[in-house]
Amino acid sequence: MTAIETFGLTKRFGSLTAVDDLTTTIDGEIFGLLGPNGSGKTTTVKMLTTLLTPTAGDAHICGYSIREHPRDVREHISYVPQDMAVDPKLTGRENVVFFGKLYGIPRPREAADEALVRMGLMERADDLVRTYSGGMRRRLELAQALVHDPSVLFLDEPTIGLDVAGRRRIWEHIIGLKERGMTVFVTTHYMDEADHACDRVGIIDRGKVIVTETPETLKASVCRDIVLIRSDDRFSGKFPEGVTFLGRAGDELRFEVQDGDEAGVVLSRLFAENGMNIRSISVRKPTLDDVFLSLVGEQDEQTAFDFTRFRTMLRRR
Amino acid sequence: MIRTLWYVERDLRRWLRGRINLLSALIMPAAWLIFVGMALPIRFTDNYLDFITPGILVLTMLGAALQGGSLLMFDKILGFLQKFLAMPAPRESILYGKILFITLRGMIQTTVILVFAIILGAQFLDPILLAQIYVILFIFGVLLSSITTTVALTLEDHDTYAAFNAMIAMPLFFTSSALMPYDQMPAWLAFLARLNPVSYAIDAIRDLQAGILPVMTLAGLLIGASIVLLISVIIFRRATV
Repeated sequence: MTAIETFGLTKRFGSLTAVDDLTTTIDGEIFGLLGPNGSGKTTTVKMLTTLLTPTAGDAHICGYSIREHPRDVREHISYVPQDMAVDPKLTGRENVVFFGKLYGIPRPREAADEALVRMGLMERADDLVRTYSGGMRRRLELAQALVHDPSVLFLDEPTIGLDVAGRRRIWEHIIGLKERGMTVFVTTHYMDEADHACDRVGIIDRGKVIVTETPETLKASVCRDIVLIRSDDRFSGKFPEGVTFLGRAGDELRFEVQDGDEAGVVLSRLFAENGMNIRSISVRKPTLDDVFLSLVGEQDEQTAFDFTRFRTMLRRR
Repeated sequence: MIRTLWYVERDLRRWLRGRINLLSALIMPAAWLIFVGMALPIRFTDNYLDFITPGILVLTMLGAALQGGSLLMFDKILGFLQKFLAMPAPRESILYGKILFITLRGMIQTTVILVFAIILGAQFLDPILLAQIYVILFIFGVLLSSITTTVALTLEDHDTYAAFNAMIAMPLFFTSSALMPYDQMPAWLAFLARLNPVSYAIDAIRDLQAGILPVMTLAGLLIGASIVLLISVIIFRRATV
């Protein structure tokens, strides 16, 4: 059964098209939806988690239509929204057991223990959540989400506001979940994290998903690697095959090549043979940031923050 | 149905862990009982405590409902509601859970009042009378907490809700029959008091004290609570889909 299939999924708020005709298939992978603020990421997730009804189109989660069978959809998913919502006055265990009971699973306590162990929270399970760090709270939310063993997990900005160690740990857990066969749909702002963890990413801008690809393909499509060599001497020979000389700025020579690591070695050897004195070599590989900027552009938020529209959107959530 | 109870359990645990909340909820009504019930120079009855206790009971329920109204709004603001809505449990059970919790909390507080009142000399020891009083308080609690929860959910903003709260709490109390019987009121106040739903609950309890079964008032409260609950469900559905 395919985890997520969307057919022309569209959501409009008045004249604003938040998500425009989204058709895609996601299964057995970590899929990252990337996009600037207000591009429709959260609206997409909210439709897929049955919190918003689409204006047009449909989506099937594990074979169930979000329009026709929203309750069956909710049986098979978990949703962890952006704002961290765990009860600080309850213990970690109580938070998870509460979710287990709400999901109506047969043995909520055992399932909660299992989820807590999996998220590495068992030692602190009986402490009040008030005493938990941000990263622990996020893992507790994951434990809540896993308590009924969902097929599809939706995470909205899972690492926002966490420190480096906390982020790494969250992603390790997410990757672990995928390896156990779960499909994970995640939205994020952090390109490096998406690059590292996601099997495929989709880039959304003004409601349109522009591209859906693996991070590697996307990066390769934008530009080749850049090699920067600093040297005071001039080079008068011929550059090897596959190396494009981009220009010289001061003492810095710029080249575009297919594989920066190999070309760097070849170039430095060539220069040394020509008696040049090389001060430094650096290779810059394209990142998802470059992909993102080349596709979406460096848009400032053009219009002033429209509060009425924001309120209407919030209301309709 | 069981899901509603899990939501109640969650709120109850949270409430019981907040020590100040708990203390304030229990001491406030007791203060009313002592300072109003025992200090006012009253001439129309020998046992003002017996007269005022129904008023304080209903006032306590009113206070509990107003205070609890913001709970669902906070669940929405803090992001809990989104999580609950993405779960397979029937969505209405979230609303029912809140209304039930607020009402139960009010009933715990009124129990404290009853114990105090009985210690101070009010005559409420008949178990049938007590059971009947609880039924009335429960229906009244459901009525009020449906209203406050829905109002807060519609306002979506804590300050505005606090203003609403302040605006209706005092007038509702003072224009009710809590403090004096209708024949002791100025005519204009008696007119307002007869319209005030808070008076219905108070009068019903007073009738019970006097040995009368207030069928009409009870029916009125029950119908009112059902209608309000229905409206709450409709607004809740609209606010969450």
